[in-house]
Amino acid sequence: MTTLTLRELVIRSMRSNMKHNYLYFFAFMMSTALYFVFATLANDSLIMAATFKDIEFVLLLKVSGILLVAIMIIFVIYANNVFLMRRSREIGLYQLVGLTRRSVGLLLITENVLLGMGALFIGITSGALVSRLFLLILLKLIDSKNVLTISFSSSAAIQTAIVFTILIALTLIQTLYKVYFTALIELLEGERQGDQPVRPRAVLSSMMGLLGIVLIVAAYLLSNQTLGPAFLLQILVILASIILGTYLVFRVTIGWLFYQIRRIKNGQLGLKNSLSLAPIMHRMKSNALSLTLITVLSAMTLTMVAIAYSLYYSAESEARAMLPYDFIFENNEHDANSFRAELESAGLTFVHQPIEAVRLTGRFGTGTEDRHSILLLAAEQLQASGADIVVPGQGEAIWYSGLRKLLSTERNFNFPQVAYLGTYGGYALINVSEGINRYMMNFNVQGSQLIVSEATLADIRQLIPIVPEQEIVHIDTYQIALMSDRAAASDYYERYIKADKYRPSFYAYYKDAHLKFGLTLFIAGFLGLVFMTATGSILYFKQMAEAEQERNCYTILRQLGFGEREMISGIIRKQLFVFAIPLVIGLVHSFFAVKTVSALTLSDISIPAAIAMTIYTLVYFVFAVLTVRYYSAFLNLKFIV
Amino acid sequence: MIQSDMKKTVLHAQQLRKSYGIKGNVQQALRGINLRIVEGEFVGIMGPSGSGKSTLINVLATMDKATAGKVVVEDVDISTMKDAERSTFRCNKLGFIFQDYNLLDMLTVKENILLSISLGKMKKKEVEAKFQQIASDLGILEIAHKYPHEISGGQRQRTSAARALIHEPALLFADEPTGALDSRAATSLLEIMEKLNRQRSITILMVTHDPIASSYCSRVVFLKDGMVYSELYRGSKTRQTFYTEIMNVQAVLGGDHVDPA
Repeated sequence: MTTLTLRELVIRSMRSNMKHNYLYFFAFMMSTALYFVFATLANDSLIMAATFKDIEFVLLLKVSGILLVAIMIIFVIYANNVFLMRRSREIGLYQLVGLTRRSVGLLLITENVLLGMGALFIGITSGALVSRLFLLILLKLIDSKNVLTISFSSSAAIQTAIVFTILIALTLIQTLYKVYFTALIELLEGERQGDQPVRPRAVLSSMMGLLGIVLIVAAYLLSNQTLGPAFLLQILVILASIILGTYLVFRVTIGWLFYQIRRIKNGQLGLKNSLSLAPIMHRMKSNALSLTLITVLSAMTLTMVAIAYSLYYSAESEARAMLPYDFIFENNEHDANSFRAELESAGLTFVHQPIEAVRLTGRFGTGTEDRHSILLLAAEQLQASGADIVVPGQGEAIWYSGLRKLLSTERNFNFPQVAYLGTYGGYALINVSEGINRYMMNFNVQGSQLIVSEATLADIRQLIPIVPEQEIVHIDTYQIALMSDRAAASDYYERYIKADKYRPSFYAYYKDAHLKFGLTLFIAGFLGLVFMTATGSILYFKQMAEAEQERNCYTILRQLGFGEREMISGIIRKQLFVFAIPLVIGLVHSFFAVKTVSALTLSDISIPAAIAMTIYTLVYFVFAVLTVRYYSAFLNLKFIV
Repeated sequence: MIQSDMKKTVLHAQQLRKSYGIKGNVQQALRGINLRIVEGEFVGIMGPSGSGKSTLINVLATMDKATAGKVVVEDVDISTMKDAERSTFRCNKLGFIFQDYNLLDMLTVKENILLSISLGKMKKKEVEAKFQQIASDLGILEIAHKYPHEISGGQRQRTSAARALIHEPALLFADEPTGALDSRAATSLLEIMEKLNRQRSITILMVTHDPIASSYCSRVVFLKDGMVYSELYRGSKTRQTFYTEIMNVQAVLGGDHVDPA
């Protein structure tokens, strides 16, 4: 008889759980499926290795898997905590009517295990079903024509099962702790009551509130600066300052601001503000930690996705900035000519332009820097090969360096400045008027690229005697008009590359980057999806719990005669704040993070970053709508008078 | 009786019936109640548990719908109103004091009081003046910026009373207002209610099981099994005498305080 009742109880409460917590199961299944796909891809290393050659994709997938599990741990524990809180009365009642703690524990465990295992099973199954789709997306991203097939990987399934069983076990421990170590009276009272409202202490809170903002702004300013030699430390300081600042903003600043608004209103708060400002203000203290976590996670996700997206989409322009010429031969006219013959016989359209450059040693920059190799290129010759370039004046040079942004030592240059060319045999002085952030000659050709006019180049060659350090470099450049032709030409070119020399062609370099960043985007995109779902759900669950705590308040408002429409507009305003505050702070954080990172890339990443941020905002908006719906339904349901 | 004919009728309930439950097992909470309250009256409703006093106040206060009968408040028939209309009516015309105060925890005393007129289009200055008036009448001006959990039960109930009165309702409902208060706070609240009733001629309907509380009323209506059992008018009697009379009726009624054996 007892077992039957218990079983009935389990089934009944499971059914109601499914109805209320569908979002939780959805998020759980989604991340299980995704983890399974990642595990499958990582396990299927043979096929994947053929596609990705030298890229450390297995490592990438493993790291992503760990990130995924980390966010899931936070999410699952948080969600379970909310559920337990909501059910604490029920748990208390079971005990009150005579069920032992043991059987209540058993009831909850059975429920958790069944639901968890169900979600896990569905997750793996759907993971197996959609892994093909995932693979198609990945292949589409990297433009691969290979047909990859993946079969159901039982080792991936086992790995997924183990990881998520551990997750379920964590919730079990949490549940048992609640059942065994909470006094009956506390269970019965539940957590109806939130924190008792406290007035912020005037001086202290305004100081702390300001400190939060100062910390964030300082971090932004710091991130805007050049990354110095101790950039790791710098990043750590920025991160710490941002996180602490965000925490303080949630813990103090927002409450303080809201308090000021209320003070100005002088008691005439109105219904909407009473339902939004007041409860949010009082909950900030206990919500600060989780809101900080959500905000930092959102910012991280946004930054990650924006960077991956922009790296992927700027792969071509980035490659172009690094390798202005499709193919080059340095001091190797023999190979160059036979390559040309091959191109001709294959019927490919191309432009061949030989360039005479001078490589010598010299120094420029501030102070006592070592001499380094300098490559002097004539602007007129480059123009002939189709480069878009201005011819510098007599005795002037323009420095083309794609690394300028990266290397802070070189970044501190002031222009114009004088470069000393040559060695003991003779000096030539040249005025470097400008530095431009890309390459004029493929970056693998040795030497800092200084572009001068042909006349200046001739002068310098006159001035500096022939010494071993000075050499004439003959470069044959090839430009191919069509992308499809480049692939064919690349095959010919490959044969001229000796194993010990690094001579990337534009096509190979671009393909490599495309592949690498395609995979990165794939992983970042799906991780971002899980992160978004997880953080959005946490906010949603938080509101579920708050709806429970505020139910009494809405009953009172009904008794006082407030209409449903007015109350719903109060709820909408509250949700607007609840979702907008972490979103906006997260967006601003990631805006500065993306800005910092964009300094490291050669192309503009603002558009892809903006797209990623828009998607994020939309997803949050959907969650906000879901929450308002839940809230209103919850309060309509409990129409107690 | 003569007196009540001359004054304006605030509330008039006719043949009020309310039944709960489904076919076959119907509980009749009200079995045809007639009640008429005129302006400036302080009416107490008493009766043993299950006599229908809570149901009655809920129906009269538009929080529940009667099964049959009619309720007219200030010439408006509220028994045929729709939900939304009743909400608006409740908000504009009625005031409530509850046993457990029903203040909103996260609002200060002042914010709680001013909440009920937040929907109206009153000017800020007017609202402030009204607040000053009612808060000083009820002696809660000093605690205006405190939160409900920071003040005593009596102060909370006075806050609740201020909230109920600030929009000058036609009728004030009080559901066991002294139920959660100690005797001193209860006496103080009742004295304030009596004062408001006399000086500002506010019409009050109070449900209580406490004979002391109802001895402050000008009339006490006794319910039994969903019907009016008897009525007592205080007239010019002292409160002590009125109290004794109330106790006597209660004894006959088999009220809460009398041993049924």
